[in-house]
Amino acid sequence: MRYFLQKLSQFAIVFFIVTFVVMILMRLGLNAPGDPARTLLGGTADQGLIDATTQKYRLDSNYFTQYFFWLKGMVTGDMGFSVPNSLPVSELIRGRVMTTLLLGSYAIVLGLIIAVPFAVRQAYKRDSAFDKVGSGLSFAFVSAPAIVLAPILTLILIKENTITLWWPLNDYQVTIGGWFPRIGEKVYPWQDLGAHFKNFFVPTLVLTLPIAAIFSRLLRGDMVMTLQADFVTLASAKGVSPRRVLWVHALRNSLFSLLTSVGLQIGGIVGGAIVAETFFDLDGMGTMLVTAILSKDLFTVQSAAAILVACVVVVNLTVDLLYAVLDPRIRHIRALA
Amino acid sequence: MTTTISPATAAAPEPALPEAGTPTPSKRRRFKRPPIGYAFAVVFLVTLTLMAFLADYLPFIPYPDAKILGPDGRPGRYEWGPSWTAWFGTDGVSGDVFSKTIYGARTSLQVGVFATVFGIVVGGALGVIAGYFRGWVDRVVMIITDCLLALPALLLAIILVNRLDDYRNDTEWLGWLSRKWQIVLTLGILATAPLARIVRAQTLSLREREFVLAARSIGAKPGRVMFREILPNLIPVILTVAFTGLSILIAAEGALAFLGLGVEVGTPTWGKLIDENRNKIDEAWWATMFPCLMLFLTVLSFNLIGDRLSRRFDIRQAGV
Amino acid sequence: MSTQIQATARDIDGPLLELTDVTTHFKTPRGLVRAVDGVSFVLDRGKSLGIVGESGSGKTILSRSIMGLLPPRGTVRGGSIKFEGREIGNLGRKQMRGVWGKEMAMIFQDPMTSLNPVMKIGKQIAEPLQIHLGMTRQNAWATAERLLQDVRIPEARRRLDQYPHEMSGGMRQRVMIAIALACGPTALFADEPTTALDVTVQAQILDLLGEQRRDRNMSLILVTHDLGVVAGHTDEIAVMYGGKLVEKASTRGLFANMKMPYTEALLLSIPKLEDRSHTRLSAIAGRPPDLVNPPTGCRFAPRCPYAADKCRNEEPPLIATAEDPGHLYACWYPVGSAAYHEAKVRIANNKAGLATAASAAGGN
Repeated sequence: MRYFLQKLSQFAIVFFIVTFVVMILMRLGLNAPGDPARTLLGGTADQGLIDATTQKYRLDSNYFTQYFFWLKGMVTGDMGFSVPNSLPVSELIRGRVMTTLLLGSYAIVLGLIIAVPFAVRQAYKRDSAFDKVGSGLSFAFVSAPAIVLAPILTLILIKENTITLWWPLNDYQVTIGGWFPRIGEKVYPWQDLGAHFKNFFVPTLVLTLPIAAIFSRLLRGDMVMTLQADFVTLASAKGVSPRRVLWVHALRNSLFSLLTSVGLQIGGIVGGAIVAETFFDLDGMGTMLVTAILSKDLFTVQSAAAILVACVVVVNLTVDLLYAVLDPRIRHIRALA
Repeated sequence: MTTTISPATAAAPEPALPEAGTPTPSKRRRFKRPPIGYAFAVVFLVTLTLMAFLADYLPFIPYPDAKILGPDGRPGRYEWGPSWTAWFGTDGVSGDVFSKTIYGARTSLQVGVFATVFGIVVGGALGVIAGYFRGWVDRVVMIITDCLLALPALLLAIILVNRLDDYRNDTEWLGWLSRKWQIVLTLGILATAPLARIVRAQTLSLREREFVLAARSIGAKPGRVMFREILPNLIPVILTVAFTGLSILIAAEGALAFLGLGVEVGTPTWGKLIDENRNKIDEAWWATMFPCLMLFLTVLSFNLIGDRLSRRFDIRQAGV
Repeated sequence: MSTQIQATARDIDGPLLELTDVTTHFKTPRGLVRAVDGVSFVLDRGKSLGIVGESGSGKTILSRSIMGLLPPRGTVRGGSIKFEGREIGNLGRKQMRGVWGKEMAMIFQDPMTSLNPVMKIGKQIAEPLQIHLGMTRQNAWATAERLLQDVRIPEARRRLDQYPHEMSGGMRQRVMIAIALACGPTALFADEPTTALDVTVQAQILDLLGEQRRDRNMSLILVTHDLGVVAGHTDEIAVMYGGKLVEKASTRGLFANMKMPYTEALLLSIPKLEDRSHTRLSAIAGRPPDLVNPPTGCRFAPRCPYAADKCRNEEPPLIATAEDPGHLYACWYPVGSAAYHEAKVRIANNKAGLATAASAAGGN
């Protein structure tokens, strides 16, 4: 329990520092009085409005005061106002957070679903053809981040390709692709499952494949090491079936690298989501953030970034706690600390 | 029967008999997988680098702003796919995709290498200091890296590049900072955190080794110890991470360019090419696919080298 | 899976284990490693056998070969292994799984790494019970508790919920024994069970094993490099060298009347309390033979102090002594024979000759 509080406070400190720095960064270069408001409202806004905005959001006070008021607003749900969009930030985000959330969750969950059985089988049949080909594939996908995979998948799946083959028949025409729409519509699963699937499939795939590859490589490595341990031989020697030995005995001891990675990959997923959303024209938090940064939409950036950082922090905290759940030895050490 | 037992046999195995030894395969005789991947990576990268930096002098690479003319003398927009005139085809402004790709390689490689060097120098320094001195210095460095890692990397990059733009315009002394160097700085900052972490971990373990204790016991100052004892032993790790990190940074540069935050207008770069041409993927797939492919192969090559190095130096890291 | 074995009739009256010319070779990049190269013996039910040898002698591989716990790829097996009259030498891992834990069990050397660190002790003991005997979870845990009491672990009930790292080395080894005994196997293989333990705990564990063996009428096969371990706790001893069986006798017979110079050397290498201080340890010079290219002739010849040309050229067969048909050995010049004494004298002379030559040289 003490450990948990310690970790929580650590993460809280990080959260505050990061959001504070983001705030400062966004205000870089806008030192002249009224500048922040002017940028926010656009160059042609009249002075009165600028002054009013400056007053309202205390844009002329020092950084700490500004931060404090922003924080106060966050807690009460007021995330500020996005002038370029003429919407309160919270509404802006609400309209887009689901998309990104879905993409990200799909990526991680699907990534795990693919990676775990794959890696387990690889470790079990070590050095077999399956293992070697699998490793090669994983390596390839690790080197294919969103920016690379998006065009490739678009070519294969979205663009219609008519290929003329010589076999089985002469001039046999095969059409590959064209199965998925080019422009992503923001359809949610509860609105129309089929359309949702169609629109989200390719972007999800773009994010999932590299993640699955990373997970699979890590898990395979750990599993191979675990399978050489004495207790695995003993479990076999007790008459336990290989399936149980793999999944019950060995797996639980091999999850640590994977778990660490989940925490670290969140940042990567957000980056990938930004690229994927831009490429497939899905209106998610990614595209919103990019536009906001470019148009100096101060509050949107601050609040959205804060949400993202909070997510990262929460995930890392969970990962840390899961270590203890997984390994009783860690539980022991932490209880004593 | 006469048997002679010489003193030699009483004490040691006779030289004439086969070698006595336990049957463990020696390291040298261990099976070596043919390093095709590695060889390919090296060849590819070397060729690419040479072409990229000598492009101005190579006759078969037209200038990126040259217009490729069709057989009837008119510029061909998106006319051809890969052909003899234009190896990778032409793009929307009748530019040669191949040459743009090669020139783009120049940018990406430059940015990637410089950013990595920055990351190694700054991140490495932070890591060694944190690992060596421990205590509050360590805590501070750890908090800094934690913060850098908490914000999603690409997001931080976008913010930094964009804000540096404005800041640069306002402030006199930063006027020399071209877009390219902004990106180098940004990516370098991104690279600092993971490198600092890794170097710190290595330093922590190296610190307890005998040779460090020996150096300290004869009164060597901390700086000297860090520089002459610990640093040389960090090189394998740094080298490995450098290559793998390079691949990530090059991909990041591509992503930034794709989003419009790339190097100055006029210099082609892979990300930008992909972005410009992605709407034409139906008619002119080559304009997008070749830069994309080059990006992939470059990232793959650096990863292959990094992987090989890590296997050679026997390093395991949990997915940085 | 165990139906294959149950189909053939079980021979309750005959010997428990019958090995005939068992070989286990491994394919490696260096060549074929002849880890076990033609071992034959018979073990009766309820008896305990000690298999003694240096590292690399093949003793561990032998015990694993009997159980069938060998890596699936690159292993070449030969010979016949009969367990209760049924041939098991040619069975794969899948078929042996029904036997493992239920009729044959094994305990390993290092109790720290042999137990699953993230699984409760109770669960690790209950597992074979549930798998082989189909017990319910409740029954299995109750039985586990009883087993822990059998192996003399105090507060058994509390221990069931603990993890391996919460116990001492000796206790963990007891837990391993409990796991092995859970389903009442007919044969227990103990692979260096005491090497990783303190000397005082060693004695306790060995006594425990002996006690359990007697109570359950179970056969015990104790694999170790330490003659001292087998001395008080086995009925018979088999000595292995270079993948071959070089001597086998009842424990008493072996110590009273050992034939192989190797066995003699093993015995001599044990430091004794009665020796004067600073007595030199008489280690056996040289290293174990290369199992890919074993030497021609007797495998121990390169290191044997009494080796003659015949030893290096012809491999001695395994024969019985005149006095006791159960005592087997493979040596041309066994301890106690005429040739042996000749050799001993010769060596002494040589040593003396060397000494005089050395002192002569030193004096000049």
